[in-house]
Amino acid sequence: MPARTIVLHIVSVLMLVVCTSASAFAQPKRIRVAAASDLQAAMPEIAKAFEAKTGITVELIFGSSGNFFSQIQNGAPFDLFFSADSEFPANLIQSGRAEPRSAVVYGVGSLVLWMPPSAICDPQAEKWNCLLKPQVSRIAIANPAHAPYGRAAVSALQSAHIYKQVLSKLVFGENISQAAQFAQSGNAQAGILAYSLAHSSAMREGKLWDIPLDSYPPIEQTVVVLKAAKEKSAARDFVLFVTEGPGHALLAQFSLRPASAQTPAGRHK
Amino acid sequence: MQALWLSLCLAFCVAAILLVVGTPLAYWLSQTRWRGKFLIESVIALPLVLPPTVLGFYLLVVMGTDGPLGKLWTAWFGHTLAFTFAGLIVASVLYSLPFAVQPLVMAFESVDTRLLDAGAILGAGRWRIFRQILLPLSLPGVITAAVLSFAHTLGEFGVVLMVGGNIPGVTRTVSIDIYDHVQSLDYAAANRMAIALVFISFAVLSTIYAVNRRVWSPWPTK
Amino acid sequence: MANEVSAASAIRAATLEAQFRFKRPGHAAGAFELSVDFQIDSGITILFGPSGSGKSTLLDCIAGLLKPGSARIALNGEILQDSATHIFLSPQQRRLAYLFQSPALFPHLTVEQNVSFGLNNSNEGDREGRVQDLLAAFRVEHLARRRPGQISGGEAQRVALARSLVTSPRALLLDEPLKGLDSELKSAIFDDLRAWNRVRQLPILYVTHQRDEVDALGERVIAIDRGQIIAQGAPHSVLDAPRKKRLAYAAGFENHLSAVVLDVRESDGVMRVRLAGSETELEVPLGYAAAGTRVHIAIRAGDILLAARKPEGLSARNILDGAIDSLDVMGTTVVCRVNAGAMFLVHVTPGALRSLGLVPGQRVWLVIKTHSCHLVEE
Repeated sequence: MPARTIVLHIVSVLMLVVCTSASAFAQPKRIRVAAASDLQAAMPEIAKAFEAKTGITVELIFGSSGNFFSQIQNGAPFDLFFSADSEFPANLIQSGRAEPRSAVVYGVGSLVLWMPPSAICDPQAEKWNCLLKPQVSRIAIANPAHAPYGRAAVSALQSAHIYKQVLSKLVFGENISQAAQFAQSGNAQAGILAYSLAHSSAMREGKLWDIPLDSYPPIEQTVVVLKAAKEKSAARDFVLFVTEGPGHALLAQFSLRPASAQTPAGRHK
Repeated sequence: MQALWLSLCLAFCVAAILLVVGTPLAYWLSQTRWRGKFLIESVIALPLVLPPTVLGFYLLVVMGTDGPLGKLWTAWFGHTLAFTFAGLIVASVLYSLPFAVQPLVMAFESVDTRLLDAGAILGAGRWRIFRQILLPLSLPGVITAAVLSFAHTLGEFGVVLMVGGNIPGVTRTVSIDIYDHVQSLDYAAANRMAIALVFISFAVLSTIYAVNRRVWSPWPTK
Repeated sequence: MANEVSAASAIRAATLEAQFRFKRPGHAAGAFELSVDFQIDSGITILFGPSGSGKSTLLDCIAGLLKPGSARIALNGEILQDSATHIFLSPQQRRLAYLFQSPALFPHLTVEQNVSFGLNNSNEGDREGRVQDLLAAFRVEHLARRRPGQISGGEAQRVALARSLVTSPRALLLDEPLKGLDSELKSAIFDDLRAWNRVRQLPILYVTHQRDEVDALGERVIAIDRGQIIAQGAPHSVLDAPRKKRLAYAAGFENHLSAVVLDVRESDGVMRVRLAGSETELEVPLGYAAAGTRVHIAIRAGDILLAARKPEGLSARNILDGAIDSLDVMGTTVVCRVNAGAMFLVHVTPGALRSLGLVPGQRVWLVIKTHSCHLVEE
């Protein structure tokens, strides 16, 4: 037994040393980007292109804009925050967590009503009525409490005067990606999703309908540079890459409507 | 796979720390006759009851750059506590505390007090009684505490997500990584990681239980 | 030899004094309180009393495992606890030996390791020697490498005894350590203990509630009941003439009768009493009671004679007329229940049962000497 305890002690000390030092590796120049989850499809490609061009590593972290907001308020070490709306970035500037006058609208999001390829209803034809069908028992949207796409979805439903009727069928994804996942896996028979996600490779096969833009306030997706950023110039370069450079075209390719489609490009707030 | 390694490191460190921190706490709880003992027991059991996301959020506030603990940490070490591996360790230790303390308390309480009395009468001080009588006889409970803390930390999600910020290579644990892959609809990658996690966890647990059997057998019954 | 004698006379000054009050914490006021004041010298003193009388608690207090209030406990003049000066030695510091009802051997250590546990400070050579000596003294040396789970109950208690003595204690506390062992085993252990103590002359406090152990071991008896010491002295005087009802029960008096005093005859040293609920009268020894007061009488079943014919010319003052209610043969004793105004338990031999031809319902006479009737308090 004594031999066993000695071995145990040695292993423990070793692991402790290795673990604590592992996170202190010297990293090559890199920026950490917190991105709204509707950018799941577009961002990895854009990041790769940027890395190839500049040699700067881009670490992408996807999640719900509201969650990121809380974390940044408490000092999260991100360099950039690509929000799915414009309110969160504005609040961050106000609270001093983001660089003033660094907010840029990088794209305009839009909603689609998405149904799986096997759906009996065609949303293109029947539009909102698809949601009222009895076969549709669950409708996935992002959580309106903190996800901009969720808020927009609720606005759209209210404009169409069917919110109260479908309320009991709504299931909430923690962010727009999770809502998409609910719909794509069949757990929800329909979803009010981000245009960009609906056109990703996994969801392209589905049946969709572009929800009229006038039924919800515009989703002006805004990026800000954070005060906690360690590599501010690299961060600004990335923003430019996305809004004006090659990233712009890639965004369009992955179906986030570029800012120029609705509003003057590079409008600063 | 970085995330897997991170998770294993985290689980291991937390289990080790909880044994060191939890043992004196459990010892005191098992020996004291203080009438207020139930208060401490309830506080320790709180993480069992609170939802992980609630715990995670409030830990974030306390450990963040504006929080009391966060400020203290930054003053001492020059960088934040939240969104670092160290922050994950602190959060996980609190989150898995009852999983270590409760088995330890039960193990200590199950040792016949007359054995401890006998030790005292034979001249052994409290430390010697603990080391040579109480601890060897509670070993199965100690192992249980270690295993539960390890397993519970390995499976953590909500707390780690809030407090860690999902930063690759730093706080992106395997549970979050799998979640990310599911969300980006990359099920193949998610499955690969999940299988690796299950496999490794199973290997660790079965090794511990197998070894544990040999620890029990030194005093066979007739 | 000369060394032994002088050593013995020096040690003969060994005494254990204890005066204290102990109340179990957390209980309602007026619940169990142990209050004692006694002194014992070298040799074996029996602490006798029924279950729940506080015997184990008393030992725990002397050992330092419990802390009584207003206490003064001293061993050979050295203070172990004194409430007045706030001295309290921990159990580790008292250098006593304490054997519990169960051997409490450390299950994860061998017999040898158990016995050497108390020897922390001496060096290797001395240690081994002492351990071997003690194992041999209690005849368990052949078990040295075994674990407690592999030895019998009797062997375990011997090992426990050896373990507690290895530290050269200055006094021995034993709490019913031989409970559940058969009598042959018990006498063997008693002999070993007595032999061991003949040289060392330590004060030994031995707790038991069994009469046979008192007779086998005891040089002095302290009787305790409900937390109070009720008698001290030679075994015979304490137990054969018990003053308290509960002590009488414990000491093996099978008959307990309620009676009312009719008449007190001081010159004869007797009283006449009438048994409650009947006309039967008894003559009992004189006690502190006036006519009309209620008393309790205890009589051993073995002290009552049974007669198949009304006896004449006997010295015994109590001859009661009754009938056999039932007969039970319990091994070598026959227990007869006889109704003679009150129900009496009488012990006779199987031989007597046969020769008198006793059957239930038979009319018999009970013969009881005055001094076989013991007055006991509630």
